[in-house]
Amino acid sequence: MMIVDHAGVTLNNLTKSYGSQKVLHEVSFSLNPGQITGLLGENGAGKSTLAKILAGATTPDTGSILIGNKHVSLQTPRESLAHGISFIPQELIYVPRLTVAENICLGRWPRKGFVTSPTQMKTFAESEVTRLGFDLPLQSEMNSLSFAQQQTVEIVKALSRDSKLIILDEPTAALNNDESAQLLSIMGNMALSGASILYISHRLDEVFSICTALQVLRNGSLVFSGDASLTDPAEVISHILGRAEVQLEGRRGNAISQKAVLKIENWSRQQYPSLDAVSLEVHEGEIVGLYGLAGSGAEVVAQTLGGLIPDVVGMTFIDQAAVTTPRSPRHSRLAGIGYVPADRKLQGLVPTLSVRNSLSLLIMRRLAKWGVINAKAELANANGMATDTQLRARSIEQTVGELSGGNQQKVLMASRIAQKPRVLVLQEPTRGVDVGARVELHKLLRKLADSGTGQLVVTSDIEEAVQICDRLLIFREGRVTREFRDLNSETQSAALHAAGGM
Amino acid sequence: MDESTAISRFSKGNSPFRKVVLSEATIRFIILGIFLVVLSLIFSSRNANFTSGNNLANILGNASVIGIVSLGQLLVIISGGFDLSVSGTVPLGGVVFAIILNKGWSVPAALLAAVAIAGIFGLANGILVGFVKISPLIATLGTWYISAGFALTLSDGVQIPFDDRADGILSARTVFGVNNQIWIFLGISLVVTFLLRFTVFGRSLYALGGNREAARLAGIPVSAMTVSVYVISAFMGGLAGAILASQLLTGSGTAGINSALQSIAAVVLGGAALTGGVGFVAGTLVGVIILGALSNGMSMLGIPAFFQTMATGIVLLLAVILSQFRKRGSFRKSEQVSSSKSQPQHPTN
Repeated sequence: MMIVDHAGVTLNNLTKSYGSQKVLHEVSFSLNPGQITGLLGENGAGKSTLAKILAGATTPDTGSILIGNKHVSLQTPRESLAHGISFIPQELIYVPRLTVAENICLGRWPRKGFVTSPTQMKTFAESEVTRLGFDLPLQSEMNSLSFAQQQTVEIVKALSRDSKLIILDEPTAALNNDESAQLLSIMGNMALSGASILYISHRLDEVFSICTALQVLRNGSLVFSGDASLTDPAEVISHILGRAEVQLEGRRGNAISQKAVLKIENWSRQQYPSLDAVSLEVHEGEIVGLYGLAGSGAEVVAQTLGGLIPDVVGMTFIDQAAVTTPRSPRHSRLAGIGYVPADRKLQGLVPTLSVRNSLSLLIMRRLAKWGVINAKAELANANGMATDTQLRARSIEQTVGELSGGNQQKVLMASRIAQKPRVLVLQEPTRGVDVGARVELHKLLRKLADSGTGQLVVTSDIEEAVQICDRLLIFREGRVTREFRDLNSETQSAALHAAGGM
Repeated sequence: MDESTAISRFSKGNSPFRKVVLSEATIRFIILGIFLVVLSLIFSSRNANFTSGNNLANILGNASVIGIVSLGQLLVIISGGFDLSVSGTVPLGGVVFAIILNKGWSVPAALLAAVAIAGIFGLANGILVGFVKISPLIATLGTWYISAGFALTLSDGVQIPFDDRADGILSARTVFGVNNQIWIFLGISLVVTFLLRFTVFGRSLYALGGNREAARLAGIPVSAMTVSVYVISAFMGGLAGAILASQLLTGSGTAGINSALQSIAAVVLGGAALTGGVGFVAGTLVGVIILGALSNGMSMLGIPAFFQTMATGIVLLLAVILSQFRKRGSFRKSEQVSSSKSQPQHPTN
């Protein structure tokens, strides 16, 4: 791999306000060549604004940016690119119907006059991909690729521009563990080749595994700046929140009721991801975690209970009574199952609906007589759910599309809790939400368990699984291969090992 | 704390923090209302007859036909689709109405026949879009051609005058000297308003248009809902066609062939989004009336029809551009809000 001598990037007293609201307040730090810097903070702490300033998408009110020791002006994305700064946003920007090679060369296709040369383009893309040590189907259309591969293409695009600074905004939020691990190792390689990397993430485990320097923003101010090896996650969390993290209490351990609210027996599925005679129980007031790598079958169990996958055979019992395994989302709801899907934007929420309407979406019929919704009952339900979940919004009539990720997730969960389900099935309950909201969501689940609702949590975040579950089942190749009780900090590595990762 | 007050405070009736937040729809409605007033002032300053009771009834009477079509179109657009085939079902409804009347049947029977035959095309649209998953553009383009061709075939390309002049009842003036079609239009407006605001059906429709997959996962029968809105839209088309025929005292295969684009223009002007999930009756009403007033006023001033068409386009674009500016403004506002949102120190209950 080619080693390029890069100059570092220094941020000097950056301040930015929107109206009277200061979103960044005199932020200064340096990004050194060959170093991965983790940028942490809650949603709204100013991380994205900082990234946007570096990418040239917005400009600071005061303060300056230096590359080496030269002042640079980053007024437009084009200027940023010219200075060797690449920004890979959370939602990728690419041209879906062009090939991988065309996307890599986007905006600078080799050409003669008005004519581009597909051969030259392919040669260029090929040499870049090999030089960087990747493997990509160069002639495939971009939209036929997996999300992880698309991200890799964006990274190749950034690196082939000889970027001095690469900014990644929550790149692993939508990746599974394998893909995340791959991406993290790629970032390690990029740093080795001499680039500075600014890594924005909510995942503390990842941040601590790859970052050498850490910067923490809170309410627009830099509250911590230092070496990753000289601090620990607990300290960082206290900086992010401005207070110590509250530990969850009241885990039941062995004192769980023996009454099963959900029982599945001999669930099997031929198609990939397959299931092979899976049986499990969730008791009243118990939180059961399912953990496995992508394709292990854990998510198939959740999706089947939610009525998304109709081809699983086997027996299902709710409150000890046999029911047909859900064949549709409607069916699932009627059986007494609440299902919180993994992707709140695509599958969970209707962005144009108000908070009030979203919270009654699944119980409209219960609130209605002759098809006419009782407005008072609806308002009471919405106010109650908003209070229970400590929802923060301007008003109950605000549309959910305008809320922050954490508050959207609260609305999504509350809309399912409003069903008063016998068992709540949750997929990735805190994906992409900040640390503060995560703690609140975890508390909410615990409170719900205390009131007797059994829960099945499928998560790819092992830290979360260990933190909130009473019992953890490990899935591997369509089977439950191991069960953990009495979860503690050592369970994490044992569970990872059992699942076949790392 | 300022804007980011926890909702829980509202529930306790403690609302000093509550700001009057006008919804996007309300603001759009106000802008359109002002526009309508300005437009009326301009026209009446040039020709005092513009605001005479007789002329206002005229504007409303003419707008009623396209208004009824627009109410159906509104439902389809909220659900995330749109319906081009009304350009076929309106003339078809008129032709069927005339033919059946001339066979000596009663007005209600003829009306029922017109609505039912149009409804068949709505059912086809619904099945094509909701179950076969063809895009609304292609599906309703196809049924537009079929229904428009069918109307021309039935009428043999010529106009079918009513044998009995009393059959113009749908547009006659009865109650308070106001045309019946206006009463019908206002009545349907009320029903659709109620449907959208207070019923499970309306709520499901907004959910379906806002995010189809989320609506499906919430247990809403999305395909059946899709069929129902296209059927309603076709019913409205058939009804509007019958009224138009009643107004003209003749059924014609070419009357109302611009219904699709006119109704889509009115609905969009009234604040609905073609991406679905957004739209309301009051906005559509004002949209319809603005378009009606525009063509009426320009005719009174003797402006040629070609210019009227251009003016309609300009008004539509202006309204949509205006709402874009507003969106950008509110985006900025919400950015501020989110940045002040998660201050951990603030008391949450």
